[in-house]
Amino acid sequence: MAHPLPPGLTPAEVAFLAEMEMVTIVPRQRIESIDLLGGKTPTLRPPHRAQVPLWLALLLKKQNRANIVPPPWLHPASLQSIIQREKVEDPVAFSPPPPPPSRIKIGGTAERINDASDGVSPPFLPSCTADAPSGFLPYHWQEVAEALLAHAGDDMPASAGEVRGLLRDLAEIRAAKLRSSSSAFEGFGDAGVSLTGVGAMELADNRAFLLGVIDGVRTLGAGAEATRREQEEEERAERGDEFNDSDEEMGI
Amino acid sequence: MASVIASRPRPRPAHTQGVTRCVYTPDGSKLVTVGSNNTIRLYKTGFDGEPDNIDDCQEQNIAVSTSNDFFVAGCEDGTVSLYTYGNNLFDRFLLRATLPVRDVALSPDHKWCAVASDELSVKLVSIEDSTNLRKLDEHRKPTKHLAFDPKGTLLALSCTDGVVYIYSLTAESPELITKVDGIIGRMETDSETSCQVAWHPDGRAFAVPTPTRAIQVVSKNDWEKQRAFKNGHDGDITALAWSPNGALLASAGKDKKILIWSTRDQSVVARYEYPNVVDIAWHPTKNLASFTTSDGEVFISPEFVPEQFLNLLRLPKQPAPFIHDPLVSKPPNGHKALATRPRRDSLASLEDLLDEGYGDDDDFVVDDDGAGYTLNAGRKRPAEDDPLFGSAHPSKRGNFLQPQQHESFQPGSTPWRGNRKYLCLNLIGFVWTVDQDSHHTVTVEFYDNELHRTFHFTDTFLYDKACLNDKGTLFASPPREAEGSPAVVFYRPHETWTQRNDWRIQLPKGEEVIAMSLSESFVTITTTAGYVRIYTLFGIPYRVYRPKNTPIVTCASWRDYVLTMGNGPVGPDGMCKLLYTIQNIKRDEICQNEDTVALPEGETLKSVFFSDNGDPCIYDSTGTLLTLLHWRQPSRASWVPLLDTKLLDRLAGGKKKESYFPIAVADDKFHCIILKGGDQYPYFPRPLLHEFEFEIPLTSVRPEGKPKKSKKKKSSDEMAIDGEDPFGRANESGGEEEEEEGESAEKSELKNLEQAYLLKGLRAAQMADFVDATSRSSAQRAALARLELDIDKTLLQLLAIECREGEERGMRALEAVSLLRDRSGRMIEAAGKIAERYGRTILGEKIRDLGERKIAGDDGADEDVFDD
Repeated sequence: MAHPLPPGLTPAEVAFLAEMEMVTIVPRQRIESIDLLGGKTPTLRPPHRAQVPLWLALLLKKQNRANIVPPPWLHPASLQSIIQREKVEDPVAFSPPPPPPSRIKIGGTAERINDASDGVSPPFLPSCTADAPSGFLPYHWQEVAEALLAHAGDDMPASAGEVRGLLRDLAEIRAAKLRSSSSAFEGFGDAGVSLTGVGAMELADNRAFLLGVIDGVRTLGAGAEATRREQEEEERAERGDEFNDSDEEMGI
Repeated sequence: MASVIASRPRPRPAHTQGVTRCVYTPDGSKLVTVGSNNTIRLYKTGFDGEPDNIDDCQEQNIAVSTSNDFFVAGCEDGTVSLYTYGNNLFDRFLLRATLPVRDVALSPDHKWCAVASDELSVKLVSIEDSTNLRKLDEHRKPTKHLAFDPKGTLLALSCTDGVVYIYSLTAESPELITKVDGIIGRMETDSETSCQVAWHPDGRAFAVPTPTRAIQVVSKNDWEKQRAFKNGHDGDITALAWSPNGALLASAGKDKKILIWSTRDQSVVARYEYPNVVDIAWHPTKNLASFTTSDGEVFISPEFVPEQFLNLLRLPKQPAPFIHDPLVSKPPNGHKALATRPRRDSLASLEDLLDEGYGDDDDFVVDDDGAGYTLNAGRKRPAEDDPLFGSAHPSKRGNFLQPQQHESFQPGSTPWRGNRKYLCLNLIGFVWTVDQDSHHTVTVEFYDNELHRTFHFTDTFLYDKACLNDKGTLFASPPREAEGSPAVVFYRPHETWTQRNDWRIQLPKGEEVIAMSLSESFVTITTTAGYVRIYTLFGIPYRVYRPKNTPIVTCASWRDYVLTMGNGPVGPDGMCKLLYTIQNIKRDEICQNEDTVALPEGETLKSVFFSDNGDPCIYDSTGTLLTLLHWRQPSRASWVPLLDTKLLDRLAGGKKKESYFPIAVADDKFHCIILKGGDQYPYFPRPLLHEFEFEIPLTSVRPEGKPKKSKKKKSSDEMAIDGEDPFGRANESGGEEEEEEGESAEKSELKNLEQAYLLKGLRAAQMADFVDATSRSSAQRAALARLELDIDKTLLQLLAIECREGEERGMRALEAVSLLRDRSGRMIEAAGKIAERYGRTILGEKIRDLGERKIAGDDGADEDVFDD
């Protein structure tokens, strides 16, 4: 019996993983550092900004103990520019992921950034903090944006409706790209699709579809392959004396 | 009180029933009335006979505007016609709109005519060339009224959606600069009720009728509500007009009344009964006004202002009724006569407020012997549009060497804007007050909601200064001469274990608080009498002294240290030198005596405060943050820049225009509020605080990435994004990292290391001073040692880069090694190892030599290095 869930992560699981992302908060009360398994949380001293994981930020926000500083890429102007880039400037590729942070930063935040970016790859970058570059969608953009809009709508740079609308536009543009990318598989196996810049949720959403497409193409391809083999075998049967040579050719 | 005039002017049946408008020519020679019949009437001033008529015109004219030579009339059939006075003839059509015209206005220079019609866009037509057309179409609804401000740079549109749109006409194409919402009501374009904007003649404010039958004054630039003319009309207002000097305001309402208000106290000085008045026009010079009714009648009313208020009309130009007039409420800096001198152009806002032509001591030079050395002699006041007046004015006084003083200020506070003001903004919280006419409401809010509770109270003392810290809040109110009450200082602790321990003291009569500060142990108050008064936290007078440099500018305090600033001798730039003194009050020691605040020529101080580590910091008008080093030892102090906000990465694109309102320095970061759009001070709602890391201004040229990258960078720079910290750096250096062996990456890394070396050295110096001056706890010593180790580490990283760069950088590398602070020799050993790892054997040897000499205690090692 097959597992009832589709392969890969479910959206709920992806959203759960996204809660590891660091975000910037402005605490509203003093909270001492808490010793957790994943390390110590910073001491929160209002109105000094601090970087905490999203789950903690949401918890503090719900208890009215902190305000979340929205990441710069969630600003309408930034989202507009990304939409522009996706739609007009480069209608095929996805907008690039945020660049890794500078190797050395002066001052207090240096250690924290370095800690987080030991393995410099998208899911582990501090790409949702207030220091993140604008105009680049991080790996967990959909989940983080959704969580922030749902729980910290009053801290957003514009009305939640406006930001939601832009995010929906962006999600649809990119979903269409992802779906149309399946046409690249028509070439029976030897084609590839670049998934650079695609977010975690988009991957989870489309994994089943893309795998289905690849599977289907493979099935079709298998049929075509079988017919080709049969034809070749017939040819081989016709030219029985050259059997060995042709076998070597096939090997190459 | 209101008075009634005996002789009523008689109605003149000028037009038939319908909207009738009137206007005086700027020279006051003629009154032009337009109405619903096809006649335009020109009444000569002072001539009671039949008017001149222009019959060759459209019917249903409903708008008119005039210059001395011509006038334009707008008609319900959509045409705007131009008529000339010389022969009283129709000249030409200026514009044809598809829908009825509702208002026309000539710009003050009479070169442009603005036309509002039922079409959505407002058109600006050049008088000389009617094909030269500009469109104002950023509003969404038809416009009912138009008004040029007296300078002709702004155009206010009252639209039917209940919003006043302000367009700037300084640029080639008109630009919407602001929407003033929530003052006028929504109405139809043809409704009789007016929502007309009437600019006050001083150009700093306009008046507009509200749906509540009041007339609201709104200030220019910040577009805040100022005073209102209330409780006069019982019906909707249909017309309003300022007297030519701005001292009186005439308004007409549907309650069949015409009221004349005094601008100064917003009281009614005269009341007339005339029904259906739709337009009022003041004669430019005489006590004469005309008004028209919707019955087509024209009234010409000589002695419009009653006898006893005539002096109001004779006054020179009066200021608009502000709640807190920025011109009147000057900081109490002692020498009022000097303080009125306009400041340099660094303070653009003040310059703006002081409109040329407005109340600007016009009798400074009295031409009493008729030698003609005053410009425009013979004329009491030059005309508005006299270009000579503005430019010639300053040079008139250039002959006098007048010392320019630094104005006093309370750090962390903002001036009044509308009826609100921040009394104090810092990292603990913020204190703000709202002027409610008879009293103020003061609110104290904290960032840490758990530790302190927000409170507010009704303030009958009218406090206008406040300080806030962890322990309590300090307020001060100015003395009120009218009631003879002296200045009051009030301290309210946040926490108490007795019944009530706030205290209030009264200063001697006539003495006013200039600036004050609150530390953990003392309250410092500087006053106009030239005293520094120091109280303990619970109101025991501790010390009173007169500082050597007055007038006092400001003060700040931290624990037992008090910093006062005052104007010193005049510097070469004609500006007083700003001198500061730092004292330890408890130990009665003077740390720095009459030392100079390092300000560039002509620049002013914006704020002064102590950082969380207790080091004095200043922020000046060039946008630079400086800190004071070695200030505990007399005459060793030096000002060191920590951050130049002009060089911030976020401004690198050159697209953003913003300034920063300093709040505090804490955690080795600069906390400030970002101000956009030319604002000088933060306003409500309270903006978010921003943090900037220190960056000693070493270079403004950022290491450039490859061209491919620069495009990406530009696109992100273009976006004006609130709530985001400098991202340029992350962007740029991120881009470099991708190109692994890029030279620029090395360079930026080197720059960062150099920057870090300087900053850490600064930090260590300050910490060493602090540890020396205080009780030397072991934790502080350990922190200092750690910091010094950190500096050495930075140098080693620098060394590593130099080694990697190549053999030829050896001299620089060795120099870095000689800068190491470590005395134990371990760091030099490590340096030697780094050199070996990169295969720099000669360098390694030299480092070992250096290490041996250092251990031997050879102090001259530094110089010897360069001899090798």
